[in-house]
Amino acid sequence: MSSPTSFASITEVEAALRAHSYLPQRGLASSLFLALAIEKPLLLEGEAGVGKTEAAKALAAAMGARLIRLQCYEGLDVAHAVYEWNYARQLLHIRAAQEGAVDEQELFGPEFLIRRPLLEAIASDEPVVLLIDEIDRADDEFEAFLLEVLSDFQITIPEIGTISAKRRPAVILTSNRTRELHDALKRRCLFHWITHPPLEREIEIVRLRVPGVPERLAAEAAAFVAGLRTMDLAKAPGVAETIDWAHALAALGCEELDAEVVEQTLGSVLKYYEDFETVRDDAVAQLLREAREAAAIVPAGAGLASSLRERRGSVS
Amino acid sequence: MSDALTRHVVTFGRVLREAGLEIGPGRLSDALNGLDRVDVTRQDDVYWTLRTTLVARREELDLFDRAFDAWFLRQAIRPPSRRDDDPRQAPRRAQRVRRDASAGQDAPAEREPEEIGTSAHEVLRRRDFAAMTPAELAAARKLISAVAARRPRRRSRRLQPHRRGHVLDLRSLARGSLATGGDPVERRFRRRTERPRKLVVLCDVSGSMEPYTRALLLYLHATVRSGRGVEVFAFGTRLTRLTPELMSRDPEQALARAAARVVDWAGGTRIGASLKAYNDVWGRRALTRGAVVLIVSDGWERQDHELVGREMARLHRAAYAVVWVNPLKGSPDYEPLAAGMRAALPSVDRFVSGHDLASLEALGDLLSSIERRHEA
Repeated sequence: MSSPTSFASITEVEAALRAHSYLPQRGLASSLFLALAIEKPLLLEGEAGVGKTEAAKALAAAMGARLIRLQCYEGLDVAHAVYEWNYARQLLHIRAAQEGAVDEQELFGPEFLIRRPLLEAIASDEPVVLLIDEIDRADDEFEAFLLEVLSDFQITIPEIGTISAKRRPAVILTSNRTRELHDALKRRCLFHWITHPPLEREIEIVRLRVPGVPERLAAEAAAFVAGLRTMDLAKAPGVAETIDWAHALAALGCEELDAEVVEQTLGSVLKYYEDFETVRDDAVAQLLREAREAAAIVPAGAGLASSLRERRGSVS
Repeated sequence: MSDALTRHVVTFGRVLREAGLEIGPGRLSDALNGLDRVDVTRQDDVYWTLRTTLVARREELDLFDRAFDAWFLRQAIRPPSRRDDDPRQAPRRAQRVRRDASAGQDAPAEREPEEIGTSAHEVLRRRDFAAMTPAELAAARKLISAVAARRPRRRSRRLQPHRRGHVLDLRSLARGSLATGGDPVERRFRRRTERPRKLVVLCDVSGSMEPYTRALLLYLHATVRSGRGVEVFAFGTRLTRLTPELMSRDPEQALARAAARVVDWAGGTRIGASLKAYNDVWGRRALTRGAVVLIVSDGWERQDHELVGREMARLHRAAYAVVWVNPLKGSPDYEPLAAGMRAALPSVDRFVSGHDLASLEALGDLLSSIERRHEA
């Protein structure tokens, strides 16, 4: 695919993501579609493990665009997010040239510039999906700088000048809500809150991502995890955990869940010691019972999740 | 798009604004642009388009849903779920705190502490907050603000030019080498700077703490105002986030707002359950990680002290340091006998008093120099 795919409708976005092994709920597909259609950055929030980062990756793949990812962290600065000068080359260049033959303009020219993700995304000729991951972990100052970049899509380098985007990259920001983002930044973005998928959708995801997993096992594992999420856990398992678990179970050659195999493999689902304390034998037995019932009710490969179901899930 | 639909959406925006959402013209035009691109005969597409463009935070989703149902689906409006910040819900105790607040303002002793004179100043420093008159408290206010400006700090990753730094400033070096044909004659360095560390305060506002609550809230107000990165929560029987209320410039107004926000003012205490609520919601969002956590409470847990121990341990693991401020500790014959306090102590790095100005000053010193994992 050489030219970027643009989508004519929400349903097309859904289908394209699906073709790249990502099963979006209708709400997420709608917000991705809108972000592309009206050229606005999209801020995705949701519990850890609901697939925020994956959504951006799948979108890039579906559009045939290049994914450029900026992982944020405390202390992230311009040298790591935008650009830096290649000092070693600069020094070598000065040495190699005749004395006094190098002027400053030459030294701070494009060939000595190291592009970091933001500059890369703006200067790129090809279509780009820019993923700004975990923006809440960056400092306030960086957020303010980002706000500037996202409003003009241009970056100024004192020695070179202003570089403007030839085409606006699709921008996706994710946040785990460790702190509130600035209102100004929120105002600039569309917003979508991702929820855990409904059971039938999660079964579908597991079967898609874990090829060869027995149908019954996928259903029971997804239902078991859905049950875990209703318990009072320090860290509720996300879709990523369900997939890991299904991988582990399939590797062990299981056809269905039983108490023993759950005991052995629960480490792929629960990540905190307290949560193992909470999910004791009797809780496992009950979750298993419920998971078997739920898995029996959900028809295999049940089609589109009802959008209304997703809505209700959003307001917990 | 039809004019009728445009009008419909604009009016809907007004409805949302009245419900408390921040809907500017930019958001409305996004919504209209979005609707232009989707199938407006599909109800769920209209719903998702409006939600994506008009809602900016998770807390607004419920309000949005109710407004959408009422406006577009013509459903009877569900009675609003009880909102924590409804001032009408605040019990009379809160009103009293507000009255006290205004009394403090009218008091004649609204003078600068410098004017009071050193000896009076010294008396004030050592006066137990519980024994202060509103006038004295008003006088102590300035001092409290000065004390609260001292914050724990962390090293920033950002490097600043510095004469005796440890990292070469290559950009400056390359530029400087131009004149000398590539020989870096003059070495230039950069060094890490310091920045305020996150500070999370959990303040007990239950009945047993009441004599101290006002002074401590003044302290917290000044702390919040000292810069970004401070989060304040109040708890009695439930947890309430107070940071936005305490952001007001005027301390009295901030206190009045905080009093209106807290529904369980001067009531019972459930420390364990409140800590759990904090850990579940805010700890999970990693607010605790790397933060200095300041707990202000007398440690009277009436229900489940095992839960206190468990949740404190959880908090302690993620935090940079945990400091417990107990006003009762100011009394010379205090011993941590309250079961909740005893259960918490193994997970506390520093256990200090906070009953007078002098002890708050000491707290300021402690916070500005705190390091990870002090002995308790």
